Amino acid sequence: MSVQRSNRAKKSLPVVRGVAFYDLDGTLTDLNLLHMTAFFASNLAQWGGRLKYVFGLLGRLPRIAKAEFRDRHLLNVTLFETFKGISRDRLELLGEEYCDRFLTSHLYPQAVEIIERNRETGLEPVIVSGSPDFVIRPLARRLNVTTFAANRLMFFRNLATGRLHEPVMAGQEKTTWCVDYATERGIDLRNCWGYADSHYDLPFLTALGHPVAVNPDRKLESSARSRQWPIVRFTRSSDPNHEDARS
Amino acid sequence: MARAEGKLKELKPAELKRDIGARRDLVVTLNRRSESRLIAYGDDFLFEKLPAGTRVIYPPPPLDALPDPDVAIRYALLHPENADPLFAQLNPNMKVTIAIDDISLPLPPMQRPDIRERLLNIVLQTLTDYGVDDIHLIIATSLHRRMTEPEIRRMVGERAFRAFWPERLYNFDAENHAELAMLGKTDHGEEVWLSKRAADSDLLIYLNINLVPMDGGHKSVAVGLAPYQSLRYHHNAATLRDSHSYMDPKTSALHRTADRMGRVVNRNVNVFTLETAVNNRMYGGMLDFLHKNEDRFSDWDHTRLKGFKWTMRNLSDDLRRQILYKYTAPYGMTGVWAGETEAVHKKALERVFQQYAVPVSGQSDILIVGVPYICPYNVNSIMNPILVQCTGLGYLFNMYRNKPLLRAGGTMIICHPLRDEFHPEHHPSYIEFFHRCLAETTEGAALEKKFEAEFARNPTYIHMYRYGNAYHGVHPLYMWYWGEPARQHVGRVIAAGCEDPAVAARLGWDAADSLDEAIAMATSDLGRSASITYLHLPPLVIADVE
Repeated sequence: MSVQRSNRAKKSLPVVRGVAFYDLDGTLTDLNLLHMTAFFASNLAQWGGRLKYVFGLLGRLPRIAKAEFRDRHLLNVTLFETFKGISRDRLELLGEEYCDRFLTSHLYPQAVEIIERNRETGLEPVIVSGSPDFVIRPLARRLNVTTFAANRLMFFRNLATGRLHEPVMAGQEKTTWCVDYATERGIDLRNCWGYADSHYDLPFLTALGHPVAVNPDRKLESSARSRQWPIVRFTRSSDPNHEDARS
Repeated sequence: MARAEGKLKELKPAELKRDIGARRDLVVTLNRRSESRLIAYGDDFLFEKLPAGTRVIYPPPPLDALPDPDVAIRYALLHPENADPLFAQLNPNMKVTIAIDDISLPLPPMQRPDIRERLLNIVLQTLTDYGVDDIHLIIATSLHRRMTEPEIRRMVGERAFRAFWPERLYNFDAENHAELAMLGKTDHGEEVWLSKRAADSDLLIYLNINLVPMDGGHKSVAVGLAPYQSLRYHHNAATLRDSHSYMDPKTSALHRTADRMGRVVNRNVNVFTLETAVNNRMYGGMLDFLHKNEDRFSDWDHTRLKGFKWTMRNLSDDLRRQILYKYTAPYGMTGVWAGETEAVHKKALERVFQQYAVPVSGQSDILIVGVPYICPYNVNSIMNPILVQCTGLGYLFNMYRNKPLLRAGGTMIICHPLRDEFHPEHHPSYIEFFHRCLAETTEGAALEKKFEAEFARNPTYIHMYRYGNAYHGVHPLYMWYWGEPARQHVGRVIAAGCEDPAVAARLGWDAADSLDEAIAMATSDLGRSASITYLHLPPLVIADVE
């Protein structure tokens, strides 16, 4: 199971009235998986090695594009093949660096505000993302989020094999994970909130009592409108009167 | 200006009757030969034959508008009530905030120039003449949705917009806690919160439009620039239940509370109020027949009505809404007063009642009202079922002074299609309230106790209120509370022409396919001799029930 919970959190679980599940890419930040993979590929080794990884990624782009249109599960599997042969400590180091240099500065201020306000109202924040755990972990720490579900690479002799542990955090598997998580804690799904941006997250959102479409793509927006779900727009500006901050 | 004001002041009811020749016809009893009556029905109108003996109450004809509103505004600024003239209160180093009524008034939006644009241009010119440059313009939205840029531009006019938007012209944000200040408590312990900018100003000028007597007075500043922390003291089930009616501030607990809080504001802030009254010329041009008694319709009026109904029937829902929201009313300003809040409001109220009041003898067993396509909370939006409830039971039921038009335990027939339609960006919390909360109970106090805090603190709804164009999360509960006095008084509510009976059932109403069926349902309960009154609006009318 690709869930991570700190030891302290395991010992003393706070009394919560519900859970707020957050997708990451496009929801809490304006970055995506491809950006993260490109960063890793271009920072993995010396110049020669970097070129190998970058060209490897470029070579996979047609498959990645095809996967993006067809299946989010396939997209994750295809992208993470890029990491084959890289050591665990190197990935973790780059994960910290990526978080510092990009993720934190690309977080939507309104998203951070909503996480905090939801927490104040008794909703436990949980990040549910297709990004790898070595990227999500440092971000969750910075957001003071103790629980997250992320994709985990398989390692052999401390080197990534390029394959993912099951379940892969995408589509129906993401939904199943959230349902199981809430059920284990005795939380009614009707009291759970879900925030996501992509139509691939439709099963995940549909399973929860309070689905919210964040900066939705065209298909998700259409579904959200027909289902009368709230649609929110996060922007990089925190000023409500700023042009970009308006829906 | 002096002549125009003088003429209006002299208009006693008797003269109004003689001059306009219509007051005697305002309460009409129908017979078998009477023409069908127009009844507002959402985006459309019904044209229905009502039973013989039905009493129809028509709105009074529009008062004459001031011939030169700009001159009247200048006169009011120079001759304020219980206050120094505006120019005498100014100095170049002062901080001035101008608060402005939002898009919820008037309805439909008025033709340009909007009264607020006129007021603003003259006030800003005066401030500039006296060297005041620390000026902020705040749209007093309270918990209403933020107005969009085009809406604000249209309302305040190009001159003010270009000079102040967006740094010094903006919507009030009731959830920006850093920009709120608590001024104190009333003798009833009510906390009075206000926009910090307004509270810190040397002078707060409020620009108001009084469409109905419920508006204006202390309700302008103490509500328009206040957050949830203050509003909860009067926007609650118990207070609204004790308001008889909203249109009669003297007997309304809502107004008594707002007045108490407003007095605290005025003790702490130098408030200079500008109130205006408008006539009820809601329809002009090709639609002016809507002001007429149907028995006096000409062939041309019938043709226009048929054309209007045919057009509306053959348009898609979206297009029909767009066309209706493009329509602007040719309202005319009938008075403007400036100065101390209570003195100004007293004068404005007199003029508003002069426009709307119609004497009516006795109550009725059955009251018929038609809910139109617009209410204060769905301008450029969708009239959802909660707003139909608020308009029908909240506003239209309360269009009275002294006693309700409907006797206690009587039946109210509300004409509206009642579709399960919501605007997800303007009314997101309404959707949850309708589907989740009303499924549990329709009792106002129970809803308040169980759900109000949750909706008021909901982070997603707060986000949509602050950064999008959504009404505050708690707003649907407030809309429900508006119906409290009616729910206590009315025995049965029937939605006539209801397309979705499940929606009516969710509101606690009965559904009828047609008005005839609704009347049959009502008379089967109350007997065939039950008296029927049809309140013919819009335009608006307030019944002085004897």
